[in-house]
Amino acid sequence: MSTTTKFRTLKDMPKEDYIAPGNTLCAGCGGALAMRIFHKVLGPNLAWVNAAGCMTIATSYPLAPLKSNWLYTAFASAPAGAQGLRDGLDVLMAKGKLRRSEDLKVVVVTGDGAAYDIGFQSTAGAIQRGLDFYYLCYDNEAYGNTGFQMSSSTPYGSSSKTTPATAAFPYGNTDTKKDLFEAWRALKAPYIATLSNSHGVDFLRKVEKGGTAKGPKLYIDFAACPTGWGFDPKQSIEVEKLAVQTGAWPLKEAVDGVVKHTYVPGAFSPVRNYLRTQERYEHLFKPVERPEAIATIQKSVNDYWAKAAAEEGLKVRLAEG
Amino acid sequence: MFLRVRFHGRGGQGAKTASRILGNAAFGDGYNAQDFPVYGAERRGAPVTAFTRFSDSEITERGFIFSPDVVAVMDDSLVADQSANPFAGLRKGGLAIVNTTRPAAEVNGGRDDVTVLTLDLTRQALDVLGKAVLSASIAAAVARSAGISAEAFVDGLVDELKEVGLSDDLISKNVTMAEAVYDELKPVKLRTEELPAKAELVPFTVVVSGGGSEDIVNTGNSASRRTGNWRITRPVIDYLKCTDCMICYAYCPESAMSVRADGRVAIDYDNCKGCMICQTECPPRAIGSSTEDGR
Repeated sequence: MSTTTKFRTLKDMPKEDYIAPGNTLCAGCGGALAMRIFHKVLGPNLAWVNAAGCMTIATSYPLAPLKSNWLYTAFASAPAGAQGLRDGLDVLMAKGKLRRSEDLKVVVVTGDGAAYDIGFQSTAGAIQRGLDFYYLCYDNEAYGNTGFQMSSSTPYGSSSKTTPATAAFPYGNTDTKKDLFEAWRALKAPYIATLSNSHGVDFLRKVEKGGTAKGPKLYIDFAACPTGWGFDPKQSIEVEKLAVQTGAWPLKEAVDGVVKHTYVPGAFSPVRNYLRTQERYEHLFKPVERPEAIATIQKSVNDYWAKAAAEEGLKVRLAEG
Repeated sequence: MFLRVRFHGRGGQGAKTASRILGNAAFGDGYNAQDFPVYGAERRGAPVTAFTRFSDSEITERGFIFSPDVVAVMDDSLVADQSANPFAGLRKGGLAIVNTTRPAAEVNGGRDDVTVLTLDLTRQALDVLGKAVLSASIAAAVARSAGISAEAFVDGLVDELKEVGLSDDLISKNVTMAEAVYDELKPVKLRTEELPAKAELVPFTVVVSGGGSEDIVNTGNSASRRTGNWRITRPVIDYLKCTDCMICYAYCPESAMSVRADGRVAIDYDNCKGCMICQTECPPRAIGSSTEDGR
């Protein structure tokens, strides 16, 4: 897999946009930004395959933001749609009915609802079959399109429409976030990476690097959601940065199953600094602080990084628990 | 009395909550009442519609209100927005309450057969609450115009805001804000026309083709939607301070920034939604902001 890159700074981000302005997504949408950057790296010859979610609403008849192609599938079956499209393109090329230059990259784009829950089995099937495709999951840690109901990506301590903070459940959600990266790794995809829009060069390089592998190339983007998480849209990038700096969202990749962290914070900021920025965690601070819940979250972050440090020989200066 | 009220706002301004406050208040004042929003995807900034019906007799109507007696327009950019079309179906002799700083003649949707009441609720909300959430104040304007008692209104308001989960401090600020609006206005004697029993329904959402076709073959045509009217504040680049670092360009979720031929970044104000990420992230602080009405 290629290790050279043409991306050194954000100035190297390609200047061509393949998504027009005027979509109907929320102001400050992290998922929209992820799609925009992803598309820039992959270029114009692309077919998105989308399962139900926020990105479905970006195109609202008869106005379409995409300058490329779009196939909309049922919630559970975007990777199956991608298989059909990939096979169709391959067959047409084999028969000489489509020129190689007209080939399209096939990219599944879904939220965490489809990636973690409803479409997990069809993704597992596509990975098993070695389908040559990209998967971009914009992970906003709940079903944001319908009003922020809990998904299996919702972290411990987050409130949501279906896990509100109540007297019986003062911490909101008490389940832990599913580790999709590890679940995908167990299925033996050649390239898997996490992304954060706030770390743009890391983002650009990973999309570039994954493109040199044949087979499933899978990405989980940390997509800040002003509407669902409860913060001012202008803080979208700040919130993502804090998630990375506190270690709550690790940036890493797995090449043929070997995991490497691509960014390790110099000194980890306490996770409370990240939690405090969002209304979905407000109940952990007001009306009374819930130090035991915050400590639980800090401990899970610290345990994660202590293990990663041991496995990869990293030096980490973790925040106090 | 039977009154049909339709609220038009932008996601985040509180149109749905306003419809519920009004429904609550009317119910508390002894009316039968219904309130409900249009179900749809939740989008901050996108046009939102919600409804309240109340009557001193049993209400047999159900569903969307196509022929309201009152429309409450929480953002004046919605007047000319074909996807909102707030004046559609407003009964002759009806009342339109518009949140605006412009004169009534500019925001009456071309209707000279209705009463238009203009209020600057955004400024007041920014002053009192620190953000442009108008659910309490617009509900107050409608409740007062419809003659709902002050006591029932405040009770309905507080109930609803508690239900939403606001802090006591924020509830009391909302009450202060709403009472100022309520006290400033007088009940309006409405003489809306009765529609014939089998009235032709006027659809209030109109999808206007911006050059699209049935197959949407002209891809990338969404720029004609003009999401610039979602904006409350606009970013303004000071080119003397700008170092062309491209960070604002990289972080714009809307593709509303482009690089000009001279290598400098330009903002597409027709479609910039005013998220203001560019201002927050600009390292040399070369991006300022101004409110859309220049204040």
